[in-house]
Amino acid sequence: MKEIEIEEIKRLAGLSALEFDDEELEKFKGEFTSILNFIEEISKANVDGIELEYPTHDFDDLRDDEAVEGLSQEEVLANSPSTKKGSFCVPKMMEE
Amino acid sequence: MEYDIVIGLEVHAELKTKSKVFCSCKNQFGSTPNSNCCPVCIGLPGALPVLNKKAVELVIKAGLCMDCEINDKAVFERKNYFYPDLAKAYQISQLVKPICVGGKIELKDKTVRLNRIHLEEDAGKLVHSSRAIGTLIDYNRGGVPLMELVTEPDISSAEEAVEFLTKLRSILVYSNVADCKMEEGGMRCDVNLSIKPKGSDVLGVRSEMKNLNSFKSVYRAIKYEAQRQIDILEQGGKIVQETRKWDDNKERSYAMRKKETSQDYRYFPDPDMLAVNISRELVSKIKDSLPELADQRFKRYVSYSLTEYESEILTRDKAYSDYFDKALSVYFEPKTIANWFLTDVMSKLKGQDEIKISPEDLALIIKSVDDKVISTKVSKEIFEKAWEEGASVEKLIKELSGNIEGEELRKIVETLVAENEKAVSDYRTTDQPEKVLRWFMGQVMKMTKGKANATQAETMILELIKE
Amino acid sequence: MDISKLSLLEIVEKLRQREVASEELVKYYIDRIEEYKDYNAVLEVFEDALDRAREMDEKIKQGFEGKLAGVPVIIKDNILYKGKKATCASRFLEDYVAQYSSTVVEKLIESGAVIIGRANMDEFAMGGSNENSAYGVCHNALDFDRVAGGSSGGSAVSVAKSLCACALGTDTGGSVRQPSSFNGLVGMKPTYGRVSRYGIVAFASSLDQVGPITKTVKDNAYLLSVISGYSKYDETSKKEEVEDYLSKIDGDIKDLKIGVCSEVKELVKGLPVEKTYFDLIERLKSQGNEIVEVSIKDLSLVMACYYIIAPAEATSNLGRFDGVKYSRREKGCQDIDEIYIKSRTSGFGKEVKRRIMLGNFVLSSGYFDAYYNKAKKVQQRLKKQTLDALASCDVLLLPTTCGEAFKIGEKIEDPISMYKEDIFTTLANITGLPALTLPCGKGENGMPLGMQFVGKEFEESKLYNLADYIERRRSEWNMI
Repeated sequence: MKEIEIEEIKRLAGLSALEFDDEELEKFKGEFTSILNFIEEISKANVDGIELEYPTHDFDDLRDDEAVEGLSQEEVLANSPSTKKGSFCVPKMMEE
Repeated sequence: MEYDIVIGLEVHAELKTKSKVFCSCKNQFGSTPNSNCCPVCIGLPGALPVLNKKAVELVIKAGLCMDCEINDKAVFERKNYFYPDLAKAYQISQLVKPICVGGKIELKDKTVRLNRIHLEEDAGKLVHSSRAIGTLIDYNRGGVPLMELVTEPDISSAEEAVEFLTKLRSILVYSNVADCKMEEGGMRCDVNLSIKPKGSDVLGVRSEMKNLNSFKSVYRAIKYEAQRQIDILEQGGKIVQETRKWDDNKERSYAMRKKETSQDYRYFPDPDMLAVNISRELVSKIKDSLPELADQRFKRYVSYSLTEYESEILTRDKAYSDYFDKALSVYFEPKTIANWFLTDVMSKLKGQDEIKISPEDLALIIKSVDDKVISTKVSKEIFEKAWEEGASVEKLIKELSGNIEGEELRKIVETLVAENEKAVSDYRTTDQPEKVLRWFMGQVMKMTKGKANATQAETMILELIKE
Repeated sequence: MDISKLSLLEIVEKLRQREVASEELVKYYIDRIEEYKDYNAVLEVFEDALDRAREMDEKIKQGFEGKLAGVPVIIKDNILYKGKKATCASRFLEDYVAQYSSTVVEKLIESGAVIIGRANMDEFAMGGSNENSAYGVCHNALDFDRVAGGSSGGSAVSVAKSLCACALGTDTGGSVRQPSSFNGLVGMKPTYGRVSRYGIVAFASSLDQVGPITKTVKDNAYLLSVISGYSKYDETSKKEEVEDYLSKIDGDIKDLKIGVCSEVKELVKGLPVEKTYFDLIERLKSQGNEIVEVSIKDLSLVMACYYIIAPAEATSNLGRFDGVKYSRREKGCQDIDEIYIKSRTSGFGKEVKRRIMLGNFVLSSGYFDAYYNKAKKVQQRLKKQTLDALASCDVLLLPTTCGEAFKIGEKIEDPISMYKEDIFTTLANITGLPALTLPCGKGENGMPLGMQFVGKEFEESKLYNLADYIERRRSEWNMI
């Protein structure tokens, strides 16, 4: 039985932009451990020698380079929680 | 102690397409914010990327100009991270199977090897306004096709880095792959730099400087960073691997927040996209259609007996070279046209970059002088008027060349022909009669101080000297 | 005329003959949606539905002959319809209004359909019971205490309760077929790429397909012809010509070879669905169909494979829900990181968070090769094995579910037991092959049990032909 560490869950939460309080973390730890053991089945597979293939299409199938009108600025911003000056807006970020 | 500087560059250039790389929105700089956007650009749910054929073609073209190998399959991956300029929270890029691998660019004294060139999408633009307003996001640039070129760490000075970038820009501009307008962010550069004791085989710890958008800042940033690292080592310190941001105003770099330097991008193939088969037939077709680059044009100009200096200036800017070639296509006198271009045109160009006289018109002026239709003095007047006032060159040549005509002109021509029997008989026997005709024309112009109506004069001369 | 007893094809015919008006149908369904609102199948009735119905009635009078002229349809809440809300049953998209229509909606509209509302579902299509909806659980049409199934639970219950003539769901790991089976309906997961995904809020891009949910096989065939086809906005949609599936149903199945997979036989042992499964094999054998024993050696890996690939893609697909561009943004955030974290944490439900975390685990550095890459290779081999199996037969027979619809609340606290419910459905998604479910029996509680046929790529018509044959003998064969 593999067990996942709380630190690892916190790392994943960071990548996921999610946060959990301590109680949730504990509960999550239990659930996640059993899920990981569930997918751990994959480790039994021997995939030596399998070369991954990608679904493909040909160059000629690609889109021709023609520009067309998209959405209006109004439509672009329609569902936005905050807009200013025709732009999406977030609290001022540090200039990096 | 003396040190070697080891530099690798990552260069981004926006590709010259009409539409974006994964949707049909306009690829256009300077539009109203969020006006060149569609569901794909702003990452609306349900929107899917559809790859632009031209963007792939341009990257193959760039690769062929730099001796890259073109992969038989190009795979597109997602690079996942949260940042407000990235609408989908991932950038579509290439990791495992980029379009181009390897390749090289020849500098004067060395060859810089390339690691790869791949195709990806540009991010939107952030404008950091006041605290009250906040940071504004414009996705017009989001999805603009971008090629990323990565070099091997073969560059060893700021001068070489600038030489490399100049050469790269020339290749991209000449091949019509990119405009590389630095001031519009059309070409950006990241610098990876480390130092090691002179001659040592052991590489030092490197730092990465992000988003340098002028050759000058690349140059300064490298000088600064190399010295910074040397100072640390000299003082017995240790260099840490980090990402640094160059501040052009303060002329120094500083370390970026730790968070941004230790990202886990979780690349995986974009399941919304298919990999692209790149057939060898396609590659050779593109290869056969490659335009002449600066180096080749330089050699051609030298073969026209221009000096290396002249050829260098003419090819430094593609616009110059294109102009020159266009003029040549109208009137093939390379030396004369080059002289005019390098003196008259260039002196007019000081402080501006629009050539206000068409290459066809310039060629016409020069030809008219050579044909003795107008005098050199008149030609300069015409040039001046055409440039400054936009006057019609053809009209000016007519006006300034043609006020002696009719009976007055006939008398002059008759006298001339009568006095030059030898030339007349030459005309009738030589296999290059046009030369003789031109001589007669020149004489007429001399006698009329360039004021003869050239067309009439020619007809009259021919009437008299033909058998 | 009892509208609730009519099949889609009957409704189409009655509209065409002008025996019933679209307006009348829409009014009828709206009343019924109200009557059965406790089932929580429909999240919203579109306010312009009646106007659109009247408009279609007018067009029908003028001779318009679209395949779905005037037909009231309900779509799953992750299918975009311009100007209408689409929430994916998530808090995060509570107020989200679609700025463009999906390809399938365009096709529905073009054929004259009246889209009357959007159906409940598991949040972002993640779940198999419709208990993971931010807008409440959807109840089984046949037993209020049991789950509707999921994730397209609302779509299935809408059809089963006659709240519309037919419905669309999406199927990433069984989300059309399982709720169809739980509610005694016919559900199809077409070949990957048969139906364009443009405008479908993605869960797992390489597995998602839109599929029809209907009362009868013929209804299903009819509806699939309408929504199928290539879209220039979707590279993964296929250019193969769209068949008129209905006209391909000819009642002749005698040459069809039925593949029975030895690994499936093993899995079925002891499950409530066992008897129904073996009975159907016997029935088909007695019709003269050849039963071919086949094997898919890695079948035991299909679940792990699915629960690695689907969350990996989902985690990336759901990154765009970041509080910056649309819908939810938690109030009072001081900086961008707070916006991301607080908006997502409060906007997503438990199961969605679980899968995002799982996806990040299998993609993250150090685990990528052992999980994601390995799963992709196993997937490749599974597809090959399945195609090999299909080389010796026409279709594979599998149960759709392990048993009847389970009780609400029974599995919600135990994600693994919930995941295991997908054991027979994920194969079709992992291989990209078409799969159809139809009711073929009843369990000990009298709830329907579905059987599933998996076919070769673009051979949906074979599945329909066979399923129709069985459907017409269902009472003769004591299946219902």
